[in-house]
Amino acid sequence: MRRAHGIGGTLKRLGTYLALTALSLVFLFPFYWLAVSAFKTQGQIFSTPPQWIPSPWQWSNFVDIYRETNLIRAFVNSVIIAAGHVTLSLFLCSLAGYAFAKYPNAPGAKRLFAFVLGTMMIPHAVTLIPAFVILMELHMANSYWAMILPGAAGAFGIFWMRQYIAAHVPTELLYAARIDGCGEFGIYWRVVVPIAKPALAALGIILLIGSWNNLMWAFIILRTKDMETLPLVIYLLQGETRTPFGMLMAGGLLATLPLVIGFILFQRHFIAGITSGAIKA
Amino acid sequence: MQKSRMSPFVFVIAAAAGGCGRDAGREATRLDADATRDANLVSGHIEAWGWNIAAKSLQKLVPGFERRYPNVTVNVNMTGANLQTRFLLSLSAGVGAPDVSQLQMVDAPKYIATGRMTDLTPVAAKYERMFPPSLWRNCKHDGKVYAIPWDMGPCAVYYKRELFRRYGVDAGQIETWDDFIAAGKTVLERSDGRTKMLPLATTSLGAMYEILIQQNGGQLFDEQGRIAINSPQSIQALGVLKRLLDAGICANVQMWGHEFMAGLKSDTIATYPMAVWFGGTIKDTVSEYDGQVSDWGVFRLPALEAGGLRTSNLGGSVLVIPDQCQQKEAAWAFIEHALCTVEGQVAQYKNFDLFPAFLPALADPFFDQPDPFYGGQKASRLFATDITRIPPLNRTQDWVQALRYLEQSLSRWATSDTDTTAFFATLEQKLHRRIGREISPASLSTIGGG
Amino acid sequence: MRTETRTTVWSNVRRHSHFYLFISPFFILFAIFGLYPLIFSLYLSFVKWDGLTAQTWVGLGNFATMLDDEILRTSLWNTLVIGVLYVPPMMIMAFVFAVFLNQPWLWFRSYYRAAFFLPCVTPMVVIAIVFGLLYSPEKGLLNYLIGWIDHRVPFVDLEPIPWINSERWSKVSVAILVAWRWTGYNMVLMLAGLQGISREYYEAAEVDGAGVLQRMVHITLPLMRPMFLFCGILSLLGTVYMFDEVFVMTRGGPGTSSMNFGLYLFNTSFADFRFGYASCVAYTVAFFVFLAALIIMRFNRSHQD
Repeated sequence: MRRAHGIGGTLKRLGTYLALTALSLVFLFPFYWLAVSAFKTQGQIFSTPPQWIPSPWQWSNFVDIYRETNLIRAFVNSVIIAAGHVTLSLFLCSLAGYAFAKYPNAPGAKRLFAFVLGTMMIPHAVTLIPAFVILMELHMANSYWAMILPGAAGAFGIFWMRQYIAAHVPTELLYAARIDGCGEFGIYWRVVVPIAKPALAALGIILLIGSWNNLMWAFIILRTKDMETLPLVIYLLQGETRTPFGMLMAGGLLATLPLVIGFILFQRHFIAGITSGAIKA
Repeated sequence: MQKSRMSPFVFVIAAAAGGCGRDAGREATRLDADATRDANLVSGHIEAWGWNIAAKSLQKLVPGFERRYPNVTVNVNMTGANLQTRFLLSLSAGVGAPDVSQLQMVDAPKYIATGRMTDLTPVAAKYERMFPPSLWRNCKHDGKVYAIPWDMGPCAVYYKRELFRRYGVDAGQIETWDDFIAAGKTVLERSDGRTKMLPLATTSLGAMYEILIQQNGGQLFDEQGRIAINSPQSIQALGVLKRLLDAGICANVQMWGHEFMAGLKSDTIATYPMAVWFGGTIKDTVSEYDGQVSDWGVFRLPALEAGGLRTSNLGGSVLVIPDQCQQKEAAWAFIEHALCTVEGQVAQYKNFDLFPAFLPALADPFFDQPDPFYGGQKASRLFATDITRIPPLNRTQDWVQALRYLEQSLSRWATSDTDTTAFFATLEQKLHRRIGREISPASLSTIGGG
Repeated sequence: MRTETRTTVWSNVRRHSHFYLFISPFFILFAIFGLYPLIFSLYLSFVKWDGLTAQTWVGLGNFATMLDDEILRTSLWNTLVIGVLYVPPMMIMAFVFAVFLNQPWLWFRSYYRAAFFLPCVTPMVVIAIVFGLLYSPEKGLLNYLIGWIDHRVPFVDLEPIPWINSERWSKVSVAILVAWRWTGYNMVLMLAGLQGISREYYEAAEVDGAGVLQRMVHITLPLMRPMFLFCGILSLLGTVYMFDEVFVMTRGGPGTSSMNFGLYLFNTSFADFRFGYASCVAYTVAFFVFLAALIIMRFNRSHQD
């Protein structure tokens, strides 16, 4: 089969590889620039001609950003908030998704579900002000809960889990478990969750990325230095008069690296998550 | 300050959720009138927010302040993006606001109305008469003081002596706006249309309008916050604008724009009716123009009618202490040092051109020094004249928004030449609908039309 | 007889009690942060409120203000321009890349997929700052490259572009950034769509003598329509509510040249603190976006055959 393509075919393939490689390098270039700039001084960043490899290699940015900002604390905050948000959301959506999937005869079930789906039509932007007002009135602004709770009960998540559970969890298995004396919650925990792991992983990753990268809500609701998340700390380094780009790049690298590493390791789950949702839609 | 209508619902949720935010203690501490009597007893660390030269000016005062109050440390924060947005967000959230913050004079009523500022009446009472009454109006709410005036922007006319000489205009003869317009026409004619008298963009007539109504006591709002723009004073001010524009003596250039700045160094614009803070810009930009050493002078703002007020106010800032502040005595000590002492205010004028609002500071001999840049004129004293006579302007929380509508309407008016009397009646209705405030019974539309 | 029906319903509910129990945590949170905000926001559209002082009822006043709001108009226009600038090239690139990656003989697929997809995983704030550097008119890499090409390549006369410092180019700068970020995402979606097309179609077409181009036009494109429209709707929503890129890189400037709707809404809500007006604007625009999405979906259905 391969031979049948001949010289023309091989040239085409070579061309494709060249094009793809060149394009992929272009797309990856900003990351390269980020990584390299993290090790330059302000002067080196703005040098003409630009320095492709910093010489000398500077570690001072990392020291500076550790000293001048609450970087470690911000990292911890981001982790806590992301973990909390993802865990809570996965739990709520899978529990409710299971209920909608496997109790279709409960009165009002269909209408409730359709109602939740309907709200997906209305965008997030409209809910920001009321969410802020609620948190303000409850004196819960500037807290982890303020970052975790809004959006933890999302229509998309429940839709996602319901679809998967309905398709992959055989009802017979549930009956068997019930006969075995397993309580309703036990069924959920011991039977449904293990089966739904791929969907949980995929949804979890989407939620994780969203939470980690969130800037707007963090900017609005987090008010003191000790509560800031990583993206917020980086953003606030930009000053009215001067911007310490070296530090920004160092912080940016630290904020980006976990996601890049995570992505490379779990690439398959990332992709699976995004595509299955699209196919069902 | 009504509670929002959400309260009953929220109470249920609060009971359920047991809110756990980082709220810095809700009991507001009151400032004692003798708060700063003993400098050694006042202690704490202050975060102060400001921007640009104002912040730099504060920072320069810190060493002297810390010597006087050895147990207080101050950090003036002027970096960080979106300072004003973050300030407002922190006020709402109840946490994260600085101990001392700068506010623009025009914004002060809006922030004060939120009820999140410390009541400064006990400590400010003794300074009441030491600031012009027009500035206090922005700092008070319900009879209580919530802000201290910092600097102000008295207005006068900066002009190029050389151009006046060339075209035979005597600055000393200009007393009213009509004199000014006549002089402008002379300049226009004798320069063959090359030199315009002043920069005035049709899209930004708001600032000039604000200057004019402070000269004749006009208002946008009355003392109860009702819309009072349809008045004889407003019509008089609009008339001046109309005559200025109709005379063809205005250069239609945006403030701070390219041609506006270029006009400082060329002979395209003869005068700049501006506030005192503009002087710094002139000095920084100009050394010569058209090959000649630039020769600037200042004359008093023209009045609307003979014998009328020849000054006005544009700009200025105040300092406030958000209610969240945990070291109010220390914060007040700093404000007092910066704003209510002659040394503090004069230093800020000397170093950063911030014109003091503190009247005793204006009595300092520094203000009588001739300024070589203006040909030896005692410019500072000129700007300081009559500032206590400036009538207070009722700004209310909606000032900025209302001014924006006014400016839009003026822009349309300037380019399509609508009737002057109908202008304010229409604007009044528009403001009523957009801002939701009642129209004052003193309005011309209620009196005249019935 | 009737009593029996009533108890049947209630006992039905009791039998399914776990259903309600399981959905209740979700629904409580949903009610507070999902449903209630929708209603409250609708109510706020008719008031004037700064979040801290009393509310004032203005009825339709906010809607009237919207008609007169120049900055809103500008932001909507900018949003449209940015969308037109980046969506078509991005879609084309995504499709072309997907087609390449779909070739059965291709090695290193994971690497290529990762390279194109990575941009959408990373924090936008970081990327926007990096691009800000690249876009720097004096010292940025892009202008350096332009200068290099201008210098070294004969017959080519290029000038450095002011990028984010220019009112003319700020939207282009944003468009390039956004296209870079989401091409991989769309590519992955389209790849899934391509892989969903049964090989039988292609084999049958090959037997019929159809060339590569014809196979593309008559098989691939029509069968990909649902995926294209799905991507289209996602892009529509993304463009209208885009925030981080503009907030961090250009702040809507210079002037208001790159202010898009997302930034405008944020400014009106949390910088100006005009809660009532912002809610009104948000709802109105959301309504029109919803209509647009419906039209796109109807377009899908009408061409289904």
